[in-house]
Amino acid sequence: MRFREYIVYRLVLAVFVIIGVVTVVFFVSRIIPSDPAALWVGAHPTPEAIERAREQLHLNDPVVKQFAYYLWSLLHGDLGVSIRTHNPVAVDLKSAFTATFELILAAEFIAIVIAIPLGVYSAVKKDSWVDNFGRVFAISGVSLPAFWFGIVLQLIFFKHLGILPLAGRVDTVVMLEHPLHVITGFYLLDSLLTWNIPVFVDALKHLILPALTLAMYPIGLITRQVRSMMIEVLNENYIRTAWAYGLPSKKIYFEYALKNAIAPALITVGLSFAYTLVGAFLVELIFNWPGLGRYAAYAILSMDYPAVLGVTIITATAYVFINLIVDLIQVKLDPRIRL
Amino acid sequence: MKKELALFMLVITVMGVVASGCLSGQESTSTSTASGESSTSEKTTNVVIYGYGSEMITLDPSTEFSNSIVVLANVYECLVKYTPNGLEPWLATSWESNENGTIWTFHLREGVKFHTGNTMTAEDVKWSIERTLRMGLGPAFIWDPIEKMEVVNDYTIKFYLKYPANLPLIASSAYGAYIMDSKYLSTIGDDNAIADWLNQGQDAGTGPYTIVKDKYDPKTEIVLEKFSDYWGGWSNDQFDIAVIKIVPDASLREQMVTSGEIQITRDLPLDDLPKLQENPNVKVDQTASYQELYAFFNTKKEPLNNKLVRQALSYAVPYKDIVDYVLHGYGEVAKGPIPKGMLGHFEDLNMYTYDIDKAKQLLAQAGYPNGGFKLVLTYTQGDQAEAKVAEIIKAEWKKLGVEVEIRPMNWEQQWALAKSDPSKAQDVLMMYWWPTYPTPYDFLFNMFHCEEEINFNLCYYCNGEFDKAIDEAATLEGINQDKAAQLYRKAEEILMEDAPAIFFYNPDDVYVYHKSIAGFKDNPGYPQVVFFYDLHKA
Repeated sequence: MRFREYIVYRLVLAVFVIIGVVTVVFFVSRIIPSDPAALWVGAHPTPEAIERAREQLHLNDPVVKQFAYYLWSLLHGDLGVSIRTHNPVAVDLKSAFTATFELILAAEFIAIVIAIPLGVYSAVKKDSWVDNFGRVFAISGVSLPAFWFGIVLQLIFFKHLGILPLAGRVDTVVMLEHPLHVITGFYLLDSLLTWNIPVFVDALKHLILPALTLAMYPIGLITRQVRSMMIEVLNENYIRTAWAYGLPSKKIYFEYALKNAIAPALITVGLSFAYTLVGAFLVELIFNWPGLGRYAAYAILSMDYPAVLGVTIITATAYVFINLIVDLIQVKLDPRIRL
Repeated sequence: MKKELALFMLVITVMGVVASGCLSGQESTSTSTASGESSTSEKTTNVVIYGYGSEMITLDPSTEFSNSIVVLANVYECLVKYTPNGLEPWLATSWESNENGTIWTFHLREGVKFHTGNTMTAEDVKWSIERTLRMGLGPAFIWDPIEKMEVVNDYTIKFYLKYPANLPLIASSAYGAYIMDSKYLSTIGDDNAIADWLNQGQDAGTGPYTIVKDKYDPKTEIVLEKFSDYWGGWSNDQFDIAVIKIVPDASLREQMVTSGEIQITRDLPLDDLPKLQENPNVKVDQTASYQELYAFFNTKKEPLNNKLVRQALSYAVPYKDIVDYVLHGYGEVAKGPIPKGMLGHFEDLNMYTYDIDKAKQLLAQAGYPNGGFKLVLTYTQGDQAEAKVAEIIKAEWKKLGVEVEIRPMNWEQQWALAKSDPSKAQDVLMMYWWPTYPTPYDFLFNMFHCEEEINFNLCYYCNGEFDKAIDEAATLEGINQDKAAQLYRKAEEILMEDAPAIFFYNPDDVYVYHKSIAGFKDNPGYPQVVFFYDLHKA
């Protein structure tokens, strides 16, 4: 199979995966007994208001017809209207998605910047105190819950030191004083593009704690991966030969060893994107980050099924694409892997 | 290899940006335009922020029946304002009725400007109420008594009613009684087009604040800006900008208010309130609310169709302990179905008190000397207070030999179950009630009046004598409050005797505000609303 054919094949497969997910979530959400019409009308509705809502939401139709109706709207890019917020789900998801994505990217950036050097150093100085510290750090990152880290960071940096903000994406007053012209929805990027430095600084400050919390898991994962691969590579004959030739250690570690050790780590980086997407759901609640996670949590709690479906579609799509990209990179890096 | 890594990061970033752009063709909700910038950038040090737990829903005053009144009550105004001390003029300066309360005349305040610049007249009042009635959604039923409206002149409007009703009280409703700019809104299109326009974060009210459209994000924050031409005028220490910031996590709100990041909030964990009361940075405001927690007995199913059993179970509830343990004292034991502070509340009503011996005696009299039956109790999942109350009554009823199976359910689910078929529904259902506007009729009619199709009478109670008393009381409320109160009392006595429900407690409204602000006054008639106009710098 050629590379291009492979991509098309995977994309077609992805569409089926997403349709499958939508079908399952749609029918499961209808099996759970609830009354979306009651949620739609609010606190103390009259029976007439509920009946009217039922008609408006097509709830009197057979479930299969409702599903067909949903798929038809989906084909037209319409994700329906949230029963709880009465907003088009697509509009709700748009801002939530960019908020989450900004957070995930920042977390992955932190993870890579910390984990790769730490992994390399741990391997090079195997069994030293740095290595021991690195290992403890990595295991804690993987095993301790994110909400715990989040709260500890809030206590230290907000409550005791008072140098970083507690929650949210940007300070209300800063945003009022220096209104941000939103272009992409990524506050850091938008504030740079429009040269709005106060908002950039404030958004960056707000991003540090949640991103660090979210980065703990991938840091652990990547550090461990890089360390073990580096140890393996450093025992290879060609590295010993390089030492014998008296090449500088920097060249040996970073050019010869890391080059070979990083390929599997790269896959871990890719997969950790998927992990952080799930991790973000919890971190967003702790830091009041207006992203997909917070949106999904409240949608699920209130049985707002169009919103739940919307989040599911976005998450499933992101998962499928991240996996696809990881696979493609793997193929590019290692031609032995067959398409 | 480094190139590949960089490429990978780039692809992911681009994918995110593209996807965010593709998700919706519609305008971003949080963008701000040049006009938004100029209107707010100069006066921002003067900001008050209300940390609120739920997202906003819609902004249409005709249909909104949920949280968004925290915005609407600052942006729009009613004809009359409800206060615990009685009704006060708002957009109407005075009102009177004929002898039997079927024709009401309201005299409007002159020189009131809408945010659009138009002047408010009686036409706007007529149009606003007609639109609410026409749409027939949410709280529209409050205007049911109206037969027709007549604009006498620009500042006088007459209401002709189908039956006597307390129209000034209805006109003070927190839901569905706000006056909108008819001249401006009618140019937009039909009712749905107007609703869409409003829900985008725009308003056409007369209130002291107006929504900053480009900053309206119902999930994150709603920015309100002072309306300079407000008829009430402004003083220097009031706030130019008021923000409602959505922070669902209560402990986060607590940290924010103690650090001054937000200035006022509510619904904090009750366990933390004593600690907050000692914190010099904040003040705690505690006022009785118009909310009450009930448990409805399924009167259509054995053994709860037996009045004696219901009475026995009502005696086996440690009311005082529940208030102490669940509310930590932030509330009071309910005295009947109507909360304290409202018409129809009687401190000396013959209430059930905790008496386990009497309970056993009644149960024996009913033919269940050692209990021996099992009840299914449902409550709203996630409500910690309801969960605790459920546990307490389970333990107490066990002393009578009554087993209780507790089922936490999502509210819509438990309501659907209760409405389905009484013979298969839960035996006991726990629920809060609060009024659309503060009348005892809203409580007694919705929960205990005979119903052909079950809506909120979730104990399936039906008593002609009770119905007659409350129906008559409702018609007298506007013209003869003493007589109305007497009838309500009679109805409540019937209810206490029949015991279709347990009346647990009235929780307090507890607001915590930062020391930097002052002037806050809770108004239980407008639940959860902070009137920013009352606030000023401390």
